[in-house]
Amino acid sequence: MAGMELLSDEGFRIDGRRPNELRRIQCRMGVFAQADGSAYIEHGNTKVLAAVYGPHDIQGSKGRAAVHDIAFINCQYSMATFSTGERKQRPRGDRKSQEMTHHLKQTFDGAILTHLYPHSQIDIYVEVLQSDGGNYCASVNAATLALIDAGIPMKDYVCACSASFIDETPLMDINYTEESSATPQLIVSILPKSEHLVFVEMNSRLHEDQLSRVLDIAVKGCSDIYHILDRAVKEHLMEASIPLSSDT
Amino acid sequence: MSSCTRFDTVVPLHYKRVKDCCTISDKHFYTFVNEFHKDTYVEREPGESSNDRNDRAIRTAAKWYQKHLQLCAEDAGIANEMKVVLLTNDTDNRNKAKAEGIMAYTVHEYVKSLKGSADLIDRLAGLDSKPRGLKSGRYLQGTFQASRENYLEANVSVASREEMVFIQGHKNLNRGMQEDVVAIEMLPESEWSCPSSMILEDVEEKADEETDQEDAIVKTKAAKGPKLPSGRIVGVIKRKWRQYCGILQKSVLPGGTRHLFIPAERRIPKIRIETRQAAALEGQRIVVVIDSWPRNSRYPQGHYVRKLGAIGDKDTENEVLLLEHDIPHSTFSEAVLACLPELPWVITDEDLAKRTDLRSVSICSVDPPGCTDIDDALHAFKLDNGNYEVGVHIADVSHFIRNGTAIDREAQNRATTVYLIDKRIDMVPELLSSNLCSLRGNEDRFAMTVIWEMTPNAKIVKTSFMKSIIRSKAALTYAEAQMRIDDPTLTDDVTKSLRILNSLAKILKQGRIEKGALTLASSEVRFHIDSETHDPIDVQTKELRETNSMVEEFMLLANISVAEKILAEFPDCALLRRHPAPPVSNFDPLVTIAKAKGFTMKVSTGKDLADSLELAHIPSNPYFNTMLRILTTRCMMQAVYFCTGMVAPSEFFHYGLAAPIYTHFTSPIRRYSDIIVHRLLAVSIGADASYPELLDKNKTQHCSYNLNFRHRMAQYAGRASVGLHTQLFFKNRTVDEEGYILFVRKNAIQILIPKFGLEGTVYLVEQKGASLFTYNEEENTQTADGVTLSVFDPVTVQISIDRSNIQHQKLRLQLVRPVISGFSVEPQPVTSSAPPTKKIRSK
Amino acid sequence: MALEIHLATSRVQKDLVSNEDPKHIVTPGEVITADSGFMRGHGTYMEDDKLYASVAGCVERVNKLICVKPVKSRYNGEVGDVVIGRILQVGQRRWKVDIHSRQDAILMLSAVNLPGGELRRRSEEDERMMRDYLAEGDIISAEVQAIFSDGALSLHTRSLKYGKLSQGTLVHVAPSLVKRRKTHFHNLPCGASIILGNNGYVWICPTVNEDTDHTGGFIENTEPVSLADREVVARLHNCVIALAQHRMMLYDTSILYTFEASLKYQVSSA
Repeated sequence: MAGMELLSDEGFRIDGRRPNELRRIQCRMGVFAQADGSAYIEHGNTKVLAAVYGPHDIQGSKGRAAVHDIAFINCQYSMATFSTGERKQRPRGDRKSQEMTHHLKQTFDGAILTHLYPHSQIDIYVEVLQSDGGNYCASVNAATLALIDAGIPMKDYVCACSASFIDETPLMDINYTEESSATPQLIVSILPKSEHLVFVEMNSRLHEDQLSRVLDIAVKGCSDIYHILDRAVKEHLMEASIPLSSDT
Repeated sequence: MSSCTRFDTVVPLHYKRVKDCCTISDKHFYTFVNEFHKDTYVEREPGESSNDRNDRAIRTAAKWYQKHLQLCAEDAGIANEMKVVLLTNDTDNRNKAKAEGIMAYTVHEYVKSLKGSADLIDRLAGLDSKPRGLKSGRYLQGTFQASRENYLEANVSVASREEMVFIQGHKNLNRGMQEDVVAIEMLPESEWSCPSSMILEDVEEKADEETDQEDAIVKTKAAKGPKLPSGRIVGVIKRKWRQYCGILQKSVLPGGTRHLFIPAERRIPKIRIETRQAAALEGQRIVVVIDSWPRNSRYPQGHYVRKLGAIGDKDTENEVLLLEHDIPHSTFSEAVLACLPELPWVITDEDLAKRTDLRSVSICSVDPPGCTDIDDALHAFKLDNGNYEVGVHIADVSHFIRNGTAIDREAQNRATTVYLIDKRIDMVPELLSSNLCSLRGNEDRFAMTVIWEMTPNAKIVKTSFMKSIIRSKAALTYAEAQMRIDDPTLTDDVTKSLRILNSLAKILKQGRIEKGALTLASSEVRFHIDSETHDPIDVQTKELRETNSMVEEFMLLANISVAEKILAEFPDCALLRRHPAPPVSNFDPLVTIAKAKGFTMKVSTGKDLADSLELAHIPSNPYFNTMLRILTTRCMMQAVYFCTGMVAPSEFFHYGLAAPIYTHFTSPIRRYSDIIVHRLLAVSIGADASYPELLDKNKTQHCSYNLNFRHRMAQYAGRASVGLHTQLFFKNRTVDEEGYILFVRKNAIQILIPKFGLEGTVYLVEQKGASLFTYNEEENTQTADGVTLSVFDPVTVQISIDRSNIQHQKLRLQLVRPVISGFSVEPQPVTSSAPPTKKIRSK
Repeated sequence: MALEIHLATSRVQKDLVSNEDPKHIVTPGEVITADSGFMRGHGTYMEDDKLYASVAGCVERVNKLICVKPVKSRYNGEVGDVVIGRILQVGQRRWKVDIHSRQDAILMLSAVNLPGGELRRRSEEDERMMRDYLAEGDIISAEVQAIFSDGALSLHTRSLKYGKLSQGTLVHVAPSLVKRRKTHFHNLPCGASIILGNNGYVWICPTVNEDTDHTGGFIENTEPVSLADREVVARLHNCVIALAQHRMMLYDTSILYTFEASLKYQVSSA
């Protein structure tokens, strides 16, 4: 294609999607035996693995400082060194990962029924295996699945989706190319049933008049993702629970 | 077979053009995005070059399309007669396609098979090599600028070169027209030429074959001056054709249908049209569009569109003027008028709550006489701490023109109010421009206010901005204001504030000049219009009083303060105005001329230039300095609006004003740029909400292109209007007038007549006869009969209208003094028809 | 070497039980009922008079009580449950025991039988000897004695059948797969004992003949185990894993059947 045309005249994005389309999402739950819950998700080429341990007794120094009448959520976001085009120096601990870790914690603090588990800790480990934009979103969605897999009570799913705004058109679920061109980027996490926002982040400038349009498409993306995840969870449940009852 | 489908796998070279074609819906082009279709996507194979892969993708798509058409036809139960033709100039691809059973041709083969292909093939020939040549650097791309003086010469401004490329002769011009984007090829240095320094008009109709001879004549006549980089046009990349106003040239054969049309714009060639109404159109201004310019034709071909009115009629001529400068001048539409506030307009409590009430302050406005769109008003008083408070109040037009409304779109398109001598083309409807927005005396009006606290040395201590409501105590003219200042018996608030303002303005001006601001001159005139016939009856140069400069100083200061504020608040999307420093080479003619008179011009910085101009005085020729300043003005670049996010901060500078940043804030009634600036300012002081377009730097930049264009056109139109009125003025007059030589050309001298602000040409060489004059190229003089004419020399010329061609009347200048026998004419006897001989001399 | 790989997709979908009533499966945030006449059980929460699920699983209804049972979760203790645990920490008059619950369980010094079955107040001497009784990493069987208000469990081993486990293998399965029965201690006819902890930990060891050996004590039996016994233990281990993999309930009969079914496969000599 000539130049970097993020949205062609025919209305296609650089990866062939329409502005209001998600990337293909594939997911699997229970991929680890050792973890209490785990999940793997692909948003197009973004691939994320999440593992949940707990609730268990508080461990480590971070947890000691936490409030004791609710569960302490411990997150760790890391990106595999091979996940990006250029090999990463270190997988975690850099500013970006720390920020992301913090975002994840914030997000799930709002969704997990933490008051049920005083003096406990829930670990969420997220590893990005391949990064092609929407790392946060894929991480949140993967972690949600892992938490469900671990049987940890939550108010609702947490679904995250990003959106951008190019040529007067809001774009759903942006990929790396779209992310890295100087366009606004809105990241939203919602509780899809109530449509409550649990996390919103905005990068670059966008005029407030257009915010609602972009927010709408991001929320629409979240609820689309919810339906995909919910189907996957139900399938997983059917598969897992049929024999359970067979001999009661 | 009328539809054409483009596949998305394309060669990037033509991408943009092909895409442009596809957006024209009536041409039946469609795009099929094969890259994103599951049946036509192809994966690049190992070892396959991306080019080969693309070729394969195209073939796959073509095959799929053929199959698809087949299936569609079957579904519809009809026989498929549609054939997919693949056009490619890639031999390998074509052969492979043929092997795969696709009909494949080269573009040339295909075009040849079409009816009426000759023209297409011609176009292809140019197209073929152009883009590749452009890429390889063999050809350059630029904008065609026809010479005003010589129809066989033009310049092409190429982005990558500092100086223009010179084009000479029919062959080399190759049908390029004003403003076209063209591809040019540089000529070898041995073939370079220089402008003939002749003023040449295409007078007679010539047959097409004569062009060669003409070229030869031009060549031989070419002066032996320094050779300029020259080139020839290989093709036109983009035409900038529009509608042209003009007149029909009298046909040699009465009753013929083929005629030549003479555009009003000199830089446009004559256009050949066919019409049966030639007789009816004689003496009329008409509009014509160009349809094509065939290769073998000397003139472009077009057709007649409509008639504007009789030649010489003022309304017609005004219409021509507006059309030629692309000035939107239709009456405001219903939708626009619907946006106006209802009358009687009342100020609501809500408005009051949002604004600072300054109605008790003694504010006054100072404007030219007869001004109805008063943008600005001022006030000043002494504060208790010995400092002064100075306020500039600008009509709050943005309160009435809200973003996105019809009135806003209209104003944005018009961009500026255009002032003609006898007519004003408003940017906003009159209700706003002359009433609700105009800061009239003793009426409550909304304003955007800038208030400074200044020390008596005119140093700014504090600046504040606000939306306010004001009540001007007096709407004064410059003369009235001057009178008040000068009359020591007056001690009212308004007069006192005028005196403060005046004294501060002088300090400000001094400071500005010290920083290197240029005082440039241009000849501005005022026509006295007969109240009944609306014909001009007298001409005056505009007088400048102290109060003019007083208002100007504060407007400059307000503009700069606002520019600083909005730049700080919106570093990426503020609309500012910059004036680039001209390249030093621009000053060459000025330096040469001044040198001839014994002055050295330093041009390296604005400050140097201002100082040198200040020093250049010839006691015997009081007008010399002014002329030098006029010439300096011509060396300048255009000041332009721009968006701060799109230009490097080092280029924000305003050269003429010697200000680091500058914008336009003070005339929102007549300039759209000021409305944008008002909006930005309102947002930055929290008085208004922003909207997306305001903060989008690309949109702002785009908008500023239009502002710049309209602004330039408005200027040209204004000048043309002066020219038109000058002509009307001389319709029944022949006048002897003093003037000065501005340029000496090979076959003419150009004269500036200060009284009329008029510039005209005295031809020294009759069309065929030999010249009496000898041209000295080095000293830039013309000598005849022992008299030498050189630049800046005072002369007396006789001005009259040349009626030899009834259709195309021209102003004729003839030399009266110095007397050159056989050339100069007798002075005009003083008659009653001549204007009063009182000479208004400017210093 | 030939590798046999089972992909998740190749797993046979078991439609054997499709004749049963469709189970009510819910996911977090789903409304179970808008009827306010129900009681909120585990895995649910109330909001605006509606009962929502907070975990993904099957809805179970006992009279007015509605629970959602997740497929997989940490162990939720109940008094009287038999659990297998691992000592994590020796503390002040107590041990911390990992029983795969949401908090570490506590085994008070006062809740264990002293060696020799003495019944007396625990002295400071006993406190000093705690690490000799049970050290970090030891595996014990115990019973849930009480549940603290924050959900932590207190264990006891005051029965001869509980106590330190010495030689055997621990299998870790989902707690929900262990069927609640009268007894969780089984001496299987194949020559091995199995303890099915309610917490999902399963202990398999060779059967020790003398019943008297159940001292509830802390003595480790370090006698070598015969190859035949080891093979039986290993086979049982795999049977439990296989059952768990297919999410079949674990109890003596199911394990035994599986064991018998596996007998036709021999340990390959390679």
